[in-house]
Amino acid sequence: MKKKLLLVLSIFVVALGGQGLFSNGLADEEEADYPTEPIVFIQPVKAVIFDHKFHVEEAGLDCESCHDDLFEQAAGTAEENDDFKMQALYEGKYCGACHDGETAFASNTKCAVCHIGVMGYNRMHKVDGEAEEKVHH
Amino acid sequence: MKIEDLERMKNEGPESLPSEERRKFLKMGLVVTGVFAGGSVLSLTSARNVYGALEGIKLKKYPYKPHYSMVIRQDRCIDCELCKEACVKTNNVPEYGYRTTILEREIPIGPDEFQREFMPVLCNHCNQPPCVRVCPTKATYKDKKTGIVMMEYKKCIGCKTCMAACPYNARYFNEEKRAIDKCNFCFDTRLSKGEKLTACAAACPADVRIFGDLSDPESRVYKLVHEPERVVWVLRPETGALPNVYYTKG
Repeated sequence: MKKKLLLVLSIFVVALGGQGLFSNGLADEEEADYPTEPIVFIQPVKAVIFDHKFHVEEAGLDCESCHDDLFEQAAGTAEENDDFKMQALYEGKYCGACHDGETAFASNTKCAVCHIGVMGYNRMHKVDGEAEEKVHH
Repeated sequence: MKIEDLERMKNEGPESLPSEERRKFLKMGLVVTGVFAGGSVLSLTSARNVYGALEGIKLKKYPYKPHYSMVIRQDRCIDCELCKEACVKTNNVPEYGYRTTILEREIPIGPDEFQREFMPVLCNHCNQPPCVRVCPTKATYKDKKTGIVMMEYKKCIGCKTCMAACPYNARYFNEEKRAIDKCNFCFDTRLSKGEKLTACAAACPADVRIFGDLSDPESRVYKLVHEPERVVWVLRPETGALPNVYYTKG
């Protein structure tokens, strides 16, 4: 009886500990991990690039800096909003929260740093050239 | 001279610019401030109290009324290509050609540091158009009223001499029309129907393409080109074509 209780208890402890370890591990992973592929917005215009790597490693931002107040973590959520336009950025929303000319370069300057255009989009998705040829054949 | 040859040319600097070139731009009300990009682009700023006079014609104003012109605020272009889409739709441009397009380049801004830059291009509707000069059938001509370089498709024999002569690569052979096609500032499709803007200018979400009458001091194009201290330039000024598409930043 005593043995059995101990066993149940120990399983309980191990399970708890395991869960604790697991959630700690996840938290650490979230701190360091981010999508390595750049996010490319195609609404309302094609196309704007956002690089997690640069913003985390070079700019030193945490996930919490943008998520979930400025941007939902689910990709494409912001693009569904009608106000996801330059005007909103000038009003301090979305990227404009930092890109205000003080924290980072202002949203109404250096347009082509973020805007990669249709040409940039096509390059990333290999619309032109060999890749397209392969798709056709 | 071929465009490729021009691009290979060494930048000789503004001091070696022939005085004739300088005078041409002074006559247009512009002052040359520098030469860059392999000697193929002149930097200009507006000269106050200088009136337009072109090629011996003594004028106190621009030679056409309206004198259609476009000012391209180059650093605002984001290559969304809504202008291209609007142009294709409005003017029925086939996939293999274009009336206007966007160029892209990486400009060095520091050691190992580059910045992307987009540049919209189209027919420059030159005051001295090389394409018109070489056309053997007068299928392409300068409209006497508006200064628009137009095409009369029926007269075109498809010899493509105008394509070779154009310093701006603004012409293509349209297979369906069996003739050269090019930008005409949407004259037939929009301007003649009372629209004030070309399709590309109307479609631009970033206010890059400013279109209007350069002879009207109240127009945005006039104000931009004549704004004191604003640097305005044209592409390939050395051809002497006196283009009506101006570029600026800011």
